[in-house]
Amino acid sequence: MSTETAHRTVVLAVPDWPAVAAGIARGFGPGVPVGILRAGRILSCNATARTSGVETGLNKRAAQLRCPQLEVIPWDPDVDHRVFAAGISVLEELVARFTLLSPGVVGIPASSLQRAYADEESAVEALLTGLTDATGWEFFPGIADTAFAALLASRTATRVPPGATAEFLAPLPASSLTVADARTYGELVPLLGRLGLTTLGRFAELAPADVHARFGTVGERAHRLARGLEDRIPVDHVRAREHRVAAALEPPSGRGDVLSFHARRLAGELLGSVRAAGLVCTQVSITLTSTTGELSRRTWRILDMDESAVADRLRWQAEGWLASAGPQQVPGTGEPPAGSRAGVDAEDPGANGSGFDPTEIGAEDGISAIQLEAAELLSPLGTQQSLFDQHPGRIAHTLERIQGLFGPDTVLVPGLQGGREPAETNLWTPWQQQPQPDRDPEAPWPGALPAPRPTLVEHTPVDLLDERGATVVARPSGLDNTPAVLRVPGGGSFAIVEHSASWPVEAGWWDPSIAQYRVRLQVVTAEGLAYLLSKESGRWHITGRYA
Amino acid sequence: MSAEAVHSTSALTEQLSRLPGVRTATELFAGYPPHPVDRPLQPLFRRGGLPRGEATQLTGAHAFALALAACAAATREQQWCAVLGLGEPAVAGIADFGIELDRFVSLRTPPQDWLRVTSILVEAFDILIVRPGFALSPGERNRLLAKVRERRMSLIVLGELPGSGEQLAVRSTRWSGTRRGVGRLEQCTVQVHSPRTGTHSLLLPAASGGAAPVPASNGSASSASGGLAPAAASGGVAPVPVASGRLAPVPATSDEVERMIRSVD
Repeated sequence: MSTETAHRTVVLAVPDWPAVAAGIARGFGPGVPVGILRAGRILSCNATARTSGVETGLNKRAAQLRCPQLEVIPWDPDVDHRVFAAGISVLEELVARFTLLSPGVVGIPASSLQRAYADEESAVEALLTGLTDATGWEFFPGIADTAFAALLASRTATRVPPGATAEFLAPLPASSLTVADARTYGELVPLLGRLGLTTLGRFAELAPADVHARFGTVGERAHRLARGLEDRIPVDHVRAREHRVAAALEPPSGRGDVLSFHARRLAGELLGSVRAAGLVCTQVSITLTSTTGELSRRTWRILDMDESAVADRLRWQAEGWLASAGPQQVPGTGEPPAGSRAGVDAEDPGANGSGFDPTEIGAEDGISAIQLEAAELLSPLGTQQSLFDQHPGRIAHTLERIQGLFGPDTVLVPGLQGGREPAETNLWTPWQQQPQPDRDPEAPWPGALPAPRPTLVEHTPVDLLDERGATVVARPSGLDNTPAVLRVPGGGSFAIVEHSASWPVEAGWWDPSIAQYRVRLQVVTAEGLAYLLSKESGRWHITGRYA
Repeated sequence: MSAEAVHSTSALTEQLSRLPGVRTATELFAGYPPHPVDRPLQPLFRRGGLPRGEATQLTGAHAFALALAACAAATREQQWCAVLGLGEPAVAGIADFGIELDRFVSLRTPPQDWLRVTSILVEAFDILIVRPGFALSPGERNRLLAKVRERRMSLIVLGELPGSGEQLAVRSTRWSGTRRGVGRLEQCTVQVHSPRTGTHSLLLPAASGGAAPVPASNGSASSASGGLAPAAASGGVAPVPVASGRLAPVPATSDEVERMIRSVD
């Protein structure tokens, strides 16, 4: 305790808050027995109901048998929050800082009371008086060194003296952990019970390292709670210095074998310095500098990092960069693709299925400097894989083999990001690279496509014609004419038998650089195929295929 | 005559013992337990799940959606699934089918290399959805199927692959909800035919985006009313077999054993 900052907390809790709140919301007097029903069981009942024998966990019928005049009300968390927020505002005038832990429970850091009150007892007394006068609710106070212990202490209106939190927690059942976070510790508690660790004290006796080895991070946090500490795990190590190595290539080269050679040497240096610090590197950032001064930076996640794995990644990255975009073809430079690159451009991944050929990278526009940087460092235990993963090594090995054969961008793992079009919500990231979403998936995306959604994304310009062969014109109010034929240039024509309403999607109108205006339409062809079409700047496109 | 019978039995035994990946008589008889599939799709498969150790052929307009729906339950049980040769799948659509995205990989390799990539992926993945870039010669096909059988994985081929076990064909797709330019696509009723289990109707995708059984009362009336179909019931009801063949899971029959033998030769 001495080494860590104690978060001594005062918790003020109204017992049976859902029942009390529902009674207040419906204007019942305190004499009316109230029971809150959730999923067919009594979740909470007030004191009057309890004197008649109603308990939490009963079903509705049993509760009504014990107390026929019981008001059974379905649980509504909104009511809990609303009623409590209205009453608690009086606390703002009494203390500087407080937290609503959950409806009916408020936590106040003891440090914020130190200056205004002589000791904890008088502070709690003043707070209780103020709150009870203003609201009329019965608060139970609890004081302990952590919010979790204070919450448990408030059930018995206990003040735990400083430093005695562990002793206070020891006799409590292990199921008390669910008070802290029912979802996180819900699975852990029965497991502890089966291991014979019925009380928090028994659990706290275990060695922290053993608990981490057996139960992982969740167990470690629960163990800290049981020992009377905050459940935030202190950061294992501080990155005192950056692990970074760089080298210039003289002369510049685009040859894979030359790059591999240098990469291997640099990776050895990097991993050596990481190992010397007692850490494990799981992600490495590779930065390549071309002769024209442009940069290519990628972060690779490698499970079993060694020199050759890093060298492979660097070679793939250089290969893909030089072959596809190329340092010369960056938009904005206005430089046309040089004639000497024709051979490289023809190197469609299809053309060389047979792995890497160093001669295919133009030697004159090579890489002049490489830099490796440890992007993620962990303590050695943190890298352990789950025991329950089925052959992850085999999957990784297979996918890396394919990446080695066909390039890193051929193996993609899915992810979701924010967006309106199917193509925008897609986030395909090459295997073992860090996904970098551009748009927040949690943000509201008005105009996003509802389910059922297309299964394939494409962007094919098409002609959408009506019966007389004229292009279908879309207006915000709808289509001018009925679509009859979908003509895919080079892909044939399809008769349209059904189409949806068209609906406009307008986004980003406040910023001309991101403004989009498009009209969406779904069509079904005579073959039973459905397409999502979108008209943008006067041209229809297939943007999704329901295949 | 009896000597001939003995001779043919021993020849058969010898042939059976040469089957790669089949080690015991029970394995030969019952095969491997299939990968689980979602409830609405169970009747499509002879053993109620995606067969392991053999290829499944899906043809027709909606084959990719059917394949996604078929592997959704397995990915949720931590099986790995890869997609090859399909362009860019839409992640939101995939997730709607109930696929665990952490267990899903898409490969964008050149179509002419599909066999090579497939034979690498077969080694590690539990389920593989492939659109062949070119047709296979009989020899290549047999080697691929033998490898699939040996690895006990499920190969789903979108297209013709002779020698595959389950051969599902999407016979008809009927989208509803558009109502001639008024509504939007809401759900699609598909008819899937299998030589083994007959013809079944199901909603693929249903309004939720996943697969669902056709509501029992909704038979063919919805097609007449043109897309006023009620929302799909959320499971529980088994799909309606239209012209049901064999429904009960039966052990491998002699013709299948014969087919396995032929595929080795």
